[in-house]
Amino acid sequence: MSQVVSADQILDTRGVQRELGAFVVAAAFDRTGFACAFALGDGSVRIAPPGDSEWASVAAHDGAALALAAGAVGRSWVSGGDDGRFVVINADGAASEIAGFGMKWVEKVAAHADAKAGRLACAVGKLVHVFDAAGKRLKTLEHPSSVTGLVFDAKGKRIAASHYNGASVWFVGSSSDTPRVLEWKGSHTGIAISPDGDCVVTAMQENSLHGWRLSDNQHMRMTGYPSKTEALGFTKNGKWLASSGADAVVLWPFHGGGPMGKPPIELAGGDGVNCSTIAVHPSHEAVAAGFADGLVVMADINSARILPVMGPGRGSITALAWSPDGTHLAVGTETGFAAVVDFSKR
Amino acid sequence: MADAQTKQAAQDGLVPVTVLTGYLGAGKTTLLNRILSEQHGKKYAVVINEFGELGVDNDLVVDTDEEVFEMNNGCICCTVRGDLIRIVGGLMKRRDKFDGIIIETTGLANPAPVAQTFFVDDTVRAKTRLDAVITVVDAKHLPQRLEDSHEAADQIAFADVIVLNKTDLVTADELAAVEAKIRKINKFARIHHAQKANVPISELLNQGAFDLARVLVDKPDFLENDEHEHNDDVVSMSFEAEKPIDPERFNAWIGSLLAEKGQDLLRTKGILSYVGDDRRFAFQAVHMIADGDFIGPWKAGEPRTSRIVFIGRDLNRPQLRRGFESCQVA
Repeated sequence: MSQVVSADQILDTRGVQRELGAFVVAAAFDRTGFACAFALGDGSVRIAPPGDSEWASVAAHDGAALALAAGAVGRSWVSGGDDGRFVVINADGAASEIAGFGMKWVEKVAAHADAKAGRLACAVGKLVHVFDAAGKRLKTLEHPSSVTGLVFDAKGKRIAASHYNGASVWFVGSSSDTPRVLEWKGSHTGIAISPDGDCVVTAMQENSLHGWRLSDNQHMRMTGYPSKTEALGFTKNGKWLASSGADAVVLWPFHGGGPMGKPPIELAGGDGVNCSTIAVHPSHEAVAAGFADGLVVMADINSARILPVMGPGRGSITALAWSPDGTHLAVGTETGFAAVVDFSKR
Repeated sequence: MADAQTKQAAQDGLVPVTVLTGYLGAGKTTLLNRILSEQHGKKYAVVINEFGELGVDNDLVVDTDEEVFEMNNGCICCTVRGDLIRIVGGLMKRRDKFDGIIIETTGLANPAPVAQTFFVDDTVRAKTRLDAVITVVDAKHLPQRLEDSHEAADQIAFADVIVLNKTDLVTADELAAVEAKIRKINKFARIHHAQKANVPISELLNQGAFDLARVLVDKPDFLENDEHEHNDDVVSMSFEAEKPIDPERFNAWIGSLLAEKGQDLLRTKGILSYVGDDRRFAFQAVHMIADGDFIGPWKAGEPRTSRIVFIGRDLNRPQLRRGFESCQVA
């Protein structure tokens, strides 16, 4: 008798799964890798502790949660919501408001971990507010239009924001608040910085990516996507930029003179279903990818091997996140399914 | 037929979006308050940018800055509201679904970017449909507004529904004159006379008006002359074709027309009878951005007359007529 291996085999044997009942907006592990949090469209943040024990539900927002990231220190997260609140959440379920912005939505959040100088940030309309790890407001950075993407560089020295007609890069600790403005006409809807801090790449409304190399002002255009890129990220060594927005994971080479004049490689494609989100592995040259039909795979970039993690059928994948040590992958879908999959050696 | 189509639209699972435009002081906020305070048992998300005057707090109100950007695709009139893309995306994540979304624009706003947003963004298109553009005008001050701004005419040109407000402040003759002015710009929109914006909500929301049903249903009369409008006024024109339309010829003609005249063409709508197809083809465009799809079948015995409507500036009627007629099968 032939044995058909189920696409759900890894989920079934190595995953903890839940039906959460609301759109999974984002997932993130805390800095220590202890627990994983899921921010939901009903405003709650669910916390999955290690193992298969009960997930706590934290009433973080009155409305929908819009953004989630690991906090600056310890077992914590920060979240933003359409109730105008920027909130810090601890793994024990305690939540407190860092700042409130009334009618304005807190659409993006970011944090940088550092024992001495941890930083938190949130984007509210055209403004980015920067806080210290304890939640004290340090500065407010104003942009020409609404901020659509927010990221710290690897060292936490700079913070970059995407907006109309380009991006702005600010020195977090600088006393003079003048950004380096990276210009390119159009609507930029998301942002990433290379690990060495030299390349800033944005996703664009016009189904393309645009990059700037800061050291020599080189522009980089990456086009050919059939739909918008919702997620993009560099591999740990900075050699590849992985992105969603096509019926495969699109990886642009940021080495050997690329990406200029070099075609991207495409992994896990071929069945015509849009890749809806990706999460780059924190140490290896590998990327997890989620698709609109609910399929989740892990792709090894160098060998081009594809490992199915979860089969289609649980709603479009809207959230993927790796634990800091790369042993656990969190998955969330638009229909409210969530799972944490353990990839560690047994 | 309108009812059937409205129902069909409601069943597609897409959230209807109503755009509310109108000059400062025309009565937009009064109308919005009326809509929200009426006991209708529905839940609306309201997107506004002039917070302060709204007196209702039981619905979700989203405060936004109107952020219009040019698409980087070489088309200068292709402008989109980026803030709406983000807001619609955010609203779709909420667990409680809405019966509708109402977007209020600022008084001086050009409605084109709002309408074009619903053509251009895939995520927005997948979850919502533009139900109707409602324009509120002030019966007393509209003539002056039309004299001193482009936007007042544009807002009327874009309307599917016009609330002709403050009729108590004008005489019957003045009212007739202002209505004639509106009809010269847009002879296809439905006009509701109102005082203090007292129009029943059932005449405003979930109309399926933008989906073209009205183009066929509300046939205006066809007493038109062939003069070429040489001035800067916005006018509307419609043409009919009795013989079936050849899709290839139509696409070639409308494609080049929109490319050349798209800036002047505020709105284009059509219901077409394609040769060899029993379904009606609905076509519409805002400036250069066009969209088309098959809607329900022609009724048995119904004359399969194709119609197209143009609303815009500097339109050459004989040329448009010849162009449309040449799309018929030989």
